[in-house]
Amino acid sequence: MASSNISGKYTNFTVFFLPAIVLLGGLVVLPIFLDIAVAFTDMAQTLNVSGLTNMQFRKFFKPVEDSMLGFELRRSFLKALTLTATYVVLTLVIFNTTFGLVLALTTTALSERVGSFFRAIWLLPRMSPSVVYALLWSWTIDPTERGLLNQVAINIFGIGPINMKLHHPMMLIVISNGFIGASLGMIILTSAIRSIPKHLFYAAQADGAGPLSITWHIILPALRWPLSYITIFQTLALLVSFEYIFLIMGPARSTMTMAMLAYTKTLAPGVGAGLYAYGAAITMILIVIGIFLALLLWRLSNMQRLITEPRIEVQ
Amino acid sequence: MTNAKFLSITIKKPNKVLKITSSLFIFLSFFVISQSLWAKEIKIKLWATADRSGPLRAGNILEAANTLNNMLAAANADERVKIELIETNSKGYDADALQLLKAHSVGKTPDIALAAHEWIGTFVEAGLAANLESHIKTNSTLYEDIIPQLWNSVKFKGDRYGIPQDSEVRMFFLNNDLMRKAGKSESFIASLPSQVNAGQFTMNDLCDLAAEVKNAGAAKYGIIHRPNVGPDFQMAMASFGIDLYNEDQAKLQITKTGLLAYYKWLKRCVDIGAIAGDMTTWSWDSVHAGFRGGEGFSKFHGVWNLGAQLKAFGMSPTDKEAYFKKITWINAPAGKKGGTPSNLSHPIVYIVTNGPHKDLAAILVALASQHVPNTKHAVGTNHTPINYGQAAMPDFVEKGWGLIAGVPLLKYAQFMPNHSKIGQYNAISYQGVQGVETGEMSPEEAVEFVIEEMEVELGDDVIILN
Amino acid sequence: MIQIQSRSLAVTDWKRLALKAKKIRRLQIGFLIMFLSLVSLPIIIPYFWMLVISFSARTGGVESAVLWKALSILVPFVMVWILIHHNLKGSRRVFALTLTGIIAFTILWNLVGADVHLNNYRFLINANIVEDIRGPATAGGQFPWVWEAFVNSLFVATVSSFIKVLVSTFAGYYLSRFSFKGRPGFLQGLLVIDAFPAMILIIPIFILIYWLGLLDTLYGPILVISAFELPFFIFVMKGFFDGVPWDIEMSAISDGATRRQAFWYVVLPQVRAGIIAIGIFAFIKGWEEYVFVTSLRTGTSYWVMSTYLFYVAQDIMGVDYGMVAAVSVFYLIPSLILYLFFQKNLTQMTFGGVKG
Repeated sequence: MASSNISGKYTNFTVFFLPAIVLLGGLVVLPIFLDIAVAFTDMAQTLNVSGLTNMQFRKFFKPVEDSMLGFELRRSFLKALTLTATYVVLTLVIFNTTFGLVLALTTTALSERVGSFFRAIWLLPRMSPSVVYALLWSWTIDPTERGLLNQVAINIFGIGPINMKLHHPMMLIVISNGFIGASLGMIILTSAIRSIPKHLFYAAQADGAGPLSITWHIILPALRWPLSYITIFQTLALLVSFEYIFLIMGPARSTMTMAMLAYTKTLAPGVGAGLYAYGAAITMILIVIGIFLALLLWRLSNMQRLITEPRIEVQ
Repeated sequence: MTNAKFLSITIKKPNKVLKITSSLFIFLSFFVISQSLWAKEIKIKLWATADRSGPLRAGNILEAANTLNNMLAAANADERVKIELIETNSKGYDADALQLLKAHSVGKTPDIALAAHEWIGTFVEAGLAANLESHIKTNSTLYEDIIPQLWNSVKFKGDRYGIPQDSEVRMFFLNNDLMRKAGKSESFIASLPSQVNAGQFTMNDLCDLAAEVKNAGAAKYGIIHRPNVGPDFQMAMASFGIDLYNEDQAKLQITKTGLLAYYKWLKRCVDIGAIAGDMTTWSWDSVHAGFRGGEGFSKFHGVWNLGAQLKAFGMSPTDKEAYFKKITWINAPAGKKGGTPSNLSHPIVYIVTNGPHKDLAAILVALASQHVPNTKHAVGTNHTPINYGQAAMPDFVEKGWGLIAGVPLLKYAQFMPNHSKIGQYNAISYQGVQGVETGEMSPEEAVEFVIEEMEVELGDDVIILN
Repeated sequence: MIQIQSRSLAVTDWKRLALKAKKIRRLQIGFLIMFLSLVSLPIIIPYFWMLVISFSARTGGVESAVLWKALSILVPFVMVWILIHHNLKGSRRVFALTLTGIIAFTILWNLVGADVHLNNYRFLINANIVEDIRGPATAGGQFPWVWEAFVNSLFVATVSSFIKVLVSTFAGYYLSRFSFKGRPGFLQGLLVIDAFPAMILIIPIFILIYWLGLLDTLYGPILVISAFELPFFIFVMKGFFDGVPWDIEMSAISDGATRRQAFWYVVLPQVRAGIIAIGIFAFIKGWEEYVFVTSLRTGTSYWVMSTYLFYVAQDIMGVDYGMVAAVSVFYLIPSLILYLFFQKNLTQMTFGGVKG
């Protein structure tokens, strides 16, 4: 009995759990270490490695005698850092959290059918293929009168043709990524709001609370956990995102965030020059920043106490 | 009686066995015959990019394979050559070279590839391009008529690593009709080419003229240029005195003052409205349509546009007069008054890789570089021929008037150097162009950025002069 | 006397209050709907525009005349529809709806009928769409027939979603029911991994797939896509499994079934909603994949819908918007259909499984 229990335990483990471990270990954990390893080589287009070196990192810093730390960030790297920070903060704060919250609050205040209708609309960008979504944006912001945005701007608001790609690239990528980010926040917050016990609402209304008061005192406290979760995860997701930026803006300098820099230096179709070690070094720095930010936000939002022990222990 | 019965029995009985053995025999013989029919098919992989201005670049190799197969059949040989096409959708030859290098780095090297010549250095150092010196010398009959200067475009460290496929003339196309609409006189228009060649009409004058024509309402766009990395920008850089290559030290070179002057010129052009600030984000489509639609004052590109332009302007392919009444061609003007104009010739070349079928691939390239196939390409898409003899072919004389008209411009033409880091060099200087045009960087910042990036990425391979 | 007065006062007060509250509520709802409609317009209109272009544009450029005409009919139509739906019931409603439908359709047809055509969808039948418009650019065909890309996309999406569903269901069950050393650590680790989208690891993954020899095959992207969002799916399934009462399993086991049999026959049907949800979501993700299918190939070794649309658009966008729009619509339809049909399931995916 005991031995079959143990062998049963191991078969259970193999059947149920091993595939996940293999996939995750091989395609997520292993690449992280591989990335760190490659970052310290000179691997370029030919995929040949001739030894360990820190030459990639010298592309970010240049030794300057009279600066505080002995070195200074190179211009292009500093620019990429600031662009990344701007992009992440703006998208996160404006769309992923705030607007997602607004959408969740407004759609749950309506009847189920109407609410889910609007939620369905807002999920559409996330569900459409990325190439289609980027194409739609390219057409909408076309700088001639053919673009939808310009048609509205010229005919309704009377302002001249707008060229978003040229004059407002950051706004463009924040809004386009924001529409997608808002939908995730909307779903998570909606399900959180729906799980608030109904009697709390009735009690509050019976006490004479208006909608704003209900929102502030009942709904928002229940959303603390989901909001923290969204903030942490969306910060990291935005930090490394480049797909939509590349599809809409191409390898433009004005939106060259860190993730875009890594992509366009290595594997971007038509532009990627295969500077793999350079890209790996940029990726490594991104991962370090990401881990740092995640730990910081984790601490600040006190997520630890929300993860409890399992209810069922069976073996 | 018994015998007949016996015979009939012996014939009927082994029917089943007979069936099996006969079918086996038929199958085996079919197999053997088919093997001899299909056996020894040599697959040659050809890498090209989908380029509307040159479908015959790959097509001529296919033709060459047919010719070779006919020769093999005539010699009763078993082998046949089959070409496997890989045609990418890259936005330009720089993008395609990067794709080719990526394929090579993971072992998917083709046998023959079409490439822009300046990438040969990078290819040789990556082990991609094979040394063709001995092949050319052995098969000199197939190569002796090639225009000697063209060999310079495929040389790296003294040896030849490719066969020139074509070359072209590049220029600024100017729309005379728009100039007339803006009030320019015929004599002014007619004098432009000589003024440019004499160094009296400079780059700044060109931008002023473009802005004038645009602001007069005659043109919608001023100067239109390519929306991605390419040789055109090197041509403009040469106008500002930047010598890309240091022959003695075999290193790339850049001059800070020249670069600053170049970027300042770009910024000035954008500021006065001569160049659209977001041109680097346009699609090729909009670039072509801008000029061919008759709304662009000038286009900075090459002679192979001739065919499409004739079609777009509704002119017949042989109507030389009507075309030159409407369009003027000029070199890239000098940067400063009294300087020399510049031109750039940019051959596309065939390279052969160090695969198992290297010699066979090289012979195919040789066949594709003969007069008849090359003229089909040259005349059909308006590129300059590679063999002297092509200029005498009736087809060429009749339809190649554009190319003949472009020959005087070649006086100031140079090639880009075949240095292994030229691709990166061009990509970096293009980023400066992008930054200045979009207004993201001032010319000074752009120069600082480009110099810094070159130091970082090219290291010792570039000499930075003041 | 006083008693009667106060009683009638009390009744009127309540009624009026109720009416007032209802009016306020109606205003609030109206305001919310207006606000939501306004912010949703930037999303609806471009998609609708693309649909309209695909049915009306001719070679040469995009015009929006058809769009605005169509909208000028459809917007009032939708509003009337909502009003009828709200205020009438039963057969009267059906009658009114059909009547308005017919009227709107006839007006629409008169306005834009002449412009509508199916020519832009010829890429479904004709393989040489680009050559026909722009002339040949290659010695072979420049693009394959769209169905080749379609089948490849289908293959990639189906196989990768199948693997994802399988792996995450199994792992979710294990995490939900079994305790093992390092379980809390594993959960936390999973959370951490979830935070790092595989996108950023594209460079080492490229090298890895190269070492595995899977470059230029569809299996490379399939393998990589299968690892996307796996932690998220595991948490979702774990959440579903957590919601299945232990008693069901217990009774099956005490009836003589092994753990695995109990899992397969008893527990699994309970989480069907979850499986459908992640299956659909995984399919949609696999269908739209662009970054890895382009990075893990050299040359043009395979075509999927995302690369097909990307390069066709790059080539003929300025010349034939209509065709590009038609290809986009064609590419979008499977995602759209799946999404609309299974919307309820998709919104059920929560992250509850994280809480232990």
